[in-house]
Amino acid sequence: FRFKDSLAEDLRSADLVISHAGAGSCLETLEEGKPLIVVTNEKLMDNHQLELAKQLHRDGHVLCCNCSTLVETLESMDLSTLKPFPPGQPEKFALFLDGVVGFQ
Amino acid sequence: TGGHTTEILRLLSCLSESYSPRHYILADSDNMSEVKIRSFEQKRSETFSNSQFTFHRIPRSREVRQSWTSSVVTTVYSIFYSFPLTYKLKPDLILCNGPGTCVPVCISALLLGLLGIKRTIIVYVESICRVETLSLSGKILYYFSDYFIVQWPDLKEKYPKSVYLGRIV
Repeated sequence: FRFKDSLAEDLRSADLVISHAGAGSCLETLEEGKPLIVVTNEKLMDNHQLELAKQLHRDGHVLCCNCSTLVETLESMDLSTLKPFPPGQPEKFALFLDGVVGFQ
Repeated sequence: TGGHTTEILRLLSCLSESYSPRHYILADSDNMSEVKIRSFEQKRSETFSNSQFTFHRIPRSREVRQSWTSSVVTTVYSIFYSFPLTYKLKPDLILCNGPGTCVPVCISALLLGLLGIKRTIIVYVESICRVETLSLSGKILYYFSDYFIVQWPDLKEKYPKSVYLGRIV
């Protein structure tokens, strides 16, 4: 398919996700608790998109490769090395904002 | 737009009823965000009885990768548009997270403050995508916001006046 409104269903039934480094794709996948391989193309992407992918890789949440190394990555990957991705905490933001605005 | 809307709705998800009425300011070219926001507000009204929100449209201040000089022109044009809107709304609080749309609105709020008309608290939350560098909106509003929140420790180090609460979306 070309475009869907939401990939949530497909995500939930997947065992492994291979994606580009878009933030939405990475975060949605990690939040579903699915193993993720991020394929980066440093020539095409603007630098800031890479920042998140690199950090997620550094923190051990995703595997990274580029188009030419994808096959060998799939052959040699050990998904058990991937660390679970804890969800963000908007409650901390709410608490902070309440303090700023004066609601206690 | 897109990712920004998803992020800001997550930020709003734990806010109490006191944050009302909510005015959502969108770029005129943005089609998807209104749908997402309505869905969010719809869910919210299941818990909170008083759900007042409105949509406002302003011209988009800058296209992705638009040149610097033409961006200044389009941003100035957006300020002429957003100033009357901000003047009418006189918000107590502006919450934004990075799309070009937010810069003219914040500048308008600053002008209102300078003119002694209304003092608005400006809270900027940089996107979770920004790990090592700030967006252009972030670079500008770092100096003009009351609270500038970053979601990765690298940025807190580089921008010491920022607030770091960890990942909040």
